[in-house]
Amino acid sequence: MESVPEEVPAVELRGISKDFGSNRALDDVDLRIGHGEVVGLVGQNGSGKSTLVKVLSGVHEPSPGGRLFVGGDEVPLPLAPGKAGEVGLSFVYQNLALAPGLTVLENLTFGQRIGRGFLNPINWRGEHRSAAVVLDRYQVSLDLDAYSGDLPPVDQARLAIVRAAEDLRRFRSASGSSHSVLVLDEPTVFLPEEEVERLFDLVRTVVAEGASVLFISHDLAAVRSITDRVVVIRDGRTVAEVVPGETEESELVDLIVGASAASASLSEEAAEAEDSLSGLISGTPEPRESAVVVGHLSGGRLRDLSCEIGAGEILGVAGLIGSGAEEVPYRLFGALPETEGSLRLGSRTLDAGKLSPQRGVREQIALVPADRAVQGLSGELSLWENIVMLVEDEHYRGGVFRRSELVELARDAIDRFGIRPALPDAPAQTFSGGNQQKALIAKWLLARPRFLLLHEPTQGVDVGARRDIYGFVKAAAALSQMAVLWVTTDFTELAEVCDRVIVLSEGRPVTTLAGQELTDDAISAATLRQIREAS
Amino acid sequence: MSARAPTAVDRSEEAPPRASVLRRLGLQRYAILIVFAAMVLAFGLAVPSTFLTIGNLSNILGSQAVLFILVMAVILPTIMGDFVDLSLGSSLGLSAMTLAVLNVQHHVPILLACLAGIGAALVVGLLNVFFVVSFDNNPFIVTLGMMTIVQGIIYVISGDNSVGIVSTGLSDWIFNNEFLSIPLEFYFGLAIFLVVWYVLSFTPVGQKALVTGQSREVARLSGVRVNRQRSWAFIIASVLAGLAGVAYAGTNGTVDPTAGSDLILPAYAAVFLGATAIRPGRINPLGALIAVYFLATGTAGLELLGTQSYIQQIFYGVALVAAITVPKATRGRVFARRRAS
Repeated sequence: MESVPEEVPAVELRGISKDFGSNRALDDVDLRIGHGEVVGLVGQNGSGKSTLVKVLSGVHEPSPGGRLFVGGDEVPLPLAPGKAGEVGLSFVYQNLALAPGLTVLENLTFGQRIGRGFLNPINWRGEHRSAAVVLDRYQVSLDLDAYSGDLPPVDQARLAIVRAAEDLRRFRSASGSSHSVLVLDEPTVFLPEEEVERLFDLVRTVVAEGASVLFISHDLAAVRSITDRVVVIRDGRTVAEVVPGETEESELVDLIVGASAASASLSEEAAEAEDSLSGLISGTPEPRESAVVVGHLSGGRLRDLSCEIGAGEILGVAGLIGSGAEEVPYRLFGALPETEGSLRLGSRTLDAGKLSPQRGVREQIALVPADRAVQGLSGELSLWENIVMLVEDEHYRGGVFRRSELVELARDAIDRFGIRPALPDAPAQTFSGGNQQKALIAKWLLARPRFLLLHEPTQGVDVGARRDIYGFVKAAAALSQMAVLWVTTDFTELAEVCDRVIVLSEGRPVTTLAGQELTDDAISAATLRQIREAS
Repeated sequence: MSARAPTAVDRSEEAPPRASVLRRLGLQRYAILIVFAAMVLAFGLAVPSTFLTIGNLSNILGSQAVLFILVMAVILPTIMGDFVDLSLGSSLGLSAMTLAVLNVQHHVPILLACLAGIGAALVVGLLNVFFVVSFDNNPFIVTLGMMTIVQGIIYVISGDNSVGIVSTGLSDWIFNNEFLSIPLEFYFGLAIFLVVWYVLSFTPVGQKALVTGQSREVARLSGVRVNRQRSWAFIIASVLAGLAGVAYAGTNGTVDPTAGSDLILPAYAAVFLGATAIRPGRINPLGALIAVYFLATGTAGLELLGTQSYIQQIFYGVALVAAITVPKATRGRVFARRRAS
């Protein structure tokens, strides 16, 4: 490897602008990624960071005047699609672009030239050996013959990163250049905290091999732990560059959302949300003073969980992956088989084993699942059809389906929940993660639940929308005296929004935190302490 | 290979992709109707003396009733996300052959024979429910097998011969008697269409079916009884295919062992062509109605121009491929991408 003067950046973008119609998505943005540097790129949905990445990958053509330098040499913009790989840029997106029905080996070799035509077939045994060497180089152990779709999410992400890093290594050896950049766009969204660390070990290996990394994420804790430098982008402009070690997370949030929006505290947020939601969900048919009581819930990884959730209370459930916490909402909704225990709603006690999603909906239980795309919203259907899905029956009277009433109801909800753009007829999948999540929560709140179950409600959601969601749930709980069960591996979130948090370990509740004791560190400590004691 | 643009779920923050010219003008949903009108005009100018006649209209409307009833059957499992029920064509054939054999060879009264025919089709539907829904098998594979089995049974009960002539009482009620110069079977088809259209488009049941078809897990977690809905779709579809078989026997008098297998692919062609109209991108009964008569009018016009009847197949195929391609081509994306690379 030739030695490089430090001042030559691996990749540099200068003066990048991009307009969509009259909307300026990027305004004269500069971005420099040094050799061997890990740069974070943060900003809200709509801030322009995805657009910037798409300029880099050749999806978007920037306005004239923007320039791209790779290793000090200018590369003409726009890059043709597929060209990015030839100049030493490699991308891993949130959806990872793995073929789930192919094996790990096939995913690794896919897109490379292997075999030499009809008379020179693929030497699968040789490919197997060289793929094993590749995995070894990055200290990743995966079964090469496993289907990638069967791997746990973290291993899928690691496979995608290894594949991209190998592309870069091949580029460096073929071109003799020492510059290459791996772009990671939201690779940690679906991973629990402790798995993120494993992913970062791999990223550090990739950097040690000689690549630079551009890391794009909403997960500020992750950004702070892996990056050398963080670039904050807002309204299409770079507003700050900070060194994570010298900046508090709250300062970073302020930079991302802008000073005025960030100054509102959560209680102000909730008060504001209460204003916009009142009328939509208040005026409940019967008073709900009585608590929701979960008795001896078991099944799967869960062992005997009992708890009480007061009317209007938000109860958090924390635990590492495998602790059973992630099963609680689905078991209480009757969406998982072989559940035991009881659930008391008001004066009636239900057998948890006999619950089903149909029964759950009838009993006014609501489930906001973590897997938005598969379980939460029907992406091809319009936003309004998704939002009113649960209340359609109320608008079918006298043999006439009152479609216009439903659209009006959805329009009202879109307005109150601040879903943008306010286009009821657009397919749900065209909205950003935060707006989809607001729509999903609106869908369930319209059904006037008495018991709301949330699983990872802010996964893949930007900081601004996340605060909106906290506000909406708090407001709805207060307005309609609804009990809320909130499950997430984001302990900061639990500490911020919940009244009480139960910590699970190996399927059993080990402690309950409330009041002054309720901090993210305390939750982390409680989950970890149990593990140490168990081992 | 690594520079792959995000696909499927695009979480991008900018404007949605440019809509096609047709969609921006709001024309996409009526595109078929416009082409339909242009086609009628063209045939009307070319062969006015034969094309623009009551006889021709009656022929077009009447001759398609069997196919149309089958289309209404096909639409149900398809909309529910069980993408194909290939056995519906054979169910039509089984129904027609059962009633013909009972009526002609065993002298069973025609009404009873018809009920037996529909019952036979219903059994096929129940078997589909058992194997597809209860065992969660791939509907394509199960119904492919079911189609082959039923076709075999048709050969067995008919001895590989055409069976006829069924009671003229049936033919009178289906085909010979006319109202406003159009055979009665057209009105039966229309009645079935109205029921299917109403339920799918104007009731919560139809909306739930749509969600089930688009995202089965979302439907399940929203309290929809997904498997019950899918089962009903298979069952009602098989009964409708049975009714189509009765219409077939009444129309032709003689039942051929290959009766239904010739119709199943045109039926799917109409369903998918119909999905480009009225609610573009969604399978919908009104679009399917238009598609059936669009295809029938084109075929009739071509025949009057003197082309052979088998040209129908080419016309069907071209219309189907063009209908799904043209809206994308007008978006300009196809060509833009080629320029860029």
